[in-house]
Amino acid sequence: MTEPLHVALRLPLDRFAVEVEITCRHPVTGIFGASGAGKSSLLEAVAGLRRGARGRVQLGETVWLDSSTGVDLPSHRRAVGYVPQEGLLFPHWDVRRNLLAGARRARAHGQDPLARLREVVPLLELEPLLHRPVATLSGGERQRVALGRALCSGPRLLLLDEPLAALDLPLRRRLLPLLRRLREQLTIPMLLVSHDPIEVQALCDALIVLRQGAVIAQGEPRAVLTDPAVFPLAQREGFENLLAGALATEEGQRSARVRLANGAVLTVAPPPGDPDSREDVLVGVSATDILLATEQPRGLSARNVLPATVREIRAFDHHALVTATLTEGGPPITVEVTAATPGQLGLTAGSPVFLVIKATACRVYGRRAG
Amino acid sequence: MDSGLLPILLLTLRVAAVATAAVAVPAVLLGYALARREFFGKGLVSALVGLPLVLPPTAVGFLLLRLLAVDGPLGRETLGFDLGLVLTWKGAVVAAAVMSFPLVARTARVTFEGIEPRLEAMGRTLGYSPLGTFARITLPLARRGLLAGTLLGFTRALGEFGATVTLAGNIPGRTQTLASAIFSAQQVGDAAQGDWLMGIALAVGLLAIWGAERLSRERNR
Repeated sequence: MTEPLHVALRLPLDRFAVEVEITCRHPVTGIFGASGAGKSSLLEAVAGLRRGARGRVQLGETVWLDSSTGVDLPSHRRAVGYVPQEGLLFPHWDVRRNLLAGARRARAHGQDPLARLREVVPLLELEPLLHRPVATLSGGERQRVALGRALCSGPRLLLLDEPLAALDLPLRRRLLPLLRRLREQLTIPMLLVSHDPIEVQALCDALIVLRQGAVIAQGEPRAVLTDPAVFPLAQREGFENLLAGALATEEGQRSARVRLANGAVLTVAPPPGDPDSREDVLVGVSATDILLATEQPRGLSARNVLPATVREIRAFDHHALVTATLTEGGPPITVEVTAATPGQLGLTAGSPVFLVIKATACRVYGRRAG
Repeated sequence: MDSGLLPILLLTLRVAAVATAAVAVPAVLLGYALARREFFGKGLVSALVGLPLVLPPTAVGFLLLRLLAVDGPLGRETLGFDLGLVLTWKGAVVAAAVMSFPLVARTARVTFEGIEPRLEAMGRTLGYSPLGTFARITLPLARRGLLAGTLLGFTRALGEFGATVTLAGNIPGRTQTLASAIFSAQQVGDAAQGDWLMGIALAVGLLAIWGAERLSRERNR
């Protein structure tokens, strides 16, 4: 159980003020929103890098900001591990020295920074980089070093500001499993700012959506993203249904299978790489790439026809979101259709349907994918 | 030759070195304050720092002379003792220091302004105090720019003429530097002495430019 983080802040910006009141009890809380919604400013205020923030920031029993009693700890006394979008590695030090930049604080918090380094280096695959000057690192390498530096600094709270946004999409997807592994080993809470619906679903336990500085939705990430008030934004940023499973390519097969956590099997186009390897992956399917059928279709090229039950139908603009769960169980899957479709098909909550998904519409996110 | 070349060169180097050493730290700190801090009267301080760059150097020398006159604000009657700066090599140091201070402070300011402030913020999130951030992040990143600025200040001090002759005079063997010796040689028509002095000035100048180029090349690498 990580320490709860309570943030009740008002931070005036140029055109609006960030006004939030949130309590994060889960290990990873995502902050989602369009660019310019105030996400990064909120994170900087929590880190103590913003003047003019009023309110209260409390981690566990420690109060970092309390405007009513005049408490406002400077950034260097807040014990945050901050990973900004652009990495901000120290150019005058090599990678190893950057990783150990916060060693003094780590020791002050009773941690052995060298022991931490030995854990972090393999986790983030930094071994070959240790003695490189940071100017020679690629974007993905920089972000991994920035993350490692935060982890080795003895933080009590991790603040990740779009850690992968500066990278190209394939690289972002390749680093996703690495962040998921990190997440599993994490014993401190983390705030993750992101405008990537896939990232926040893959990494966050809870999600907060900011618009013009205000919280417009919060809750379980998938449910929040498919909220009609949020979905248009999520769709614009590339929403996909995200399903966790194990990838297996069988020899001689021209397709690969992903066994989902609930037992259902999804046929996908085989990702590049060693065909005999097995690994845990995420499968992403866009809400517009899934067909709904009321009877089992025949003679289709689509490789996946999965029986499911409609749970919920919500309309927005001229569209409708149909959310269904596979008969074999597992996370809900959301399908975007036109507003008239559910009526024409006679769909209501509880209706049995078949979800029709092309193998090539399944994007596999894993170490060899991308 | 009325006086040896070596004593002139040595005195010139000594004056410039002492002036630069005295100026370097305060000018760098002021440059940092101007680049990174907001404080009352910042505009005025910034203008005062630039003033010696735009005034005729003789005016600066004359101003110093008035300040240091027996009944001036820094004179013997006011302070109760004599600073001993008028017509002495120490006076030449003060004149050179005042003239090179703005160059060092301005280069330092530009150097600090060129450092990404978010790197400093990053340092603070890693637990560095403001002083620690300055020592571990800002100063090492500014190092080359500060060295280049100090070298610039040193060359300015080497060539200082107007303020120096006004305050310290042009006394052979006591306050005569390269710049004022060349002037004297020209006044008395001693072309040979002038040629030698000019040659030395050229050599020192080229050396300084070469050093500054090297510093800026390494910074851009």
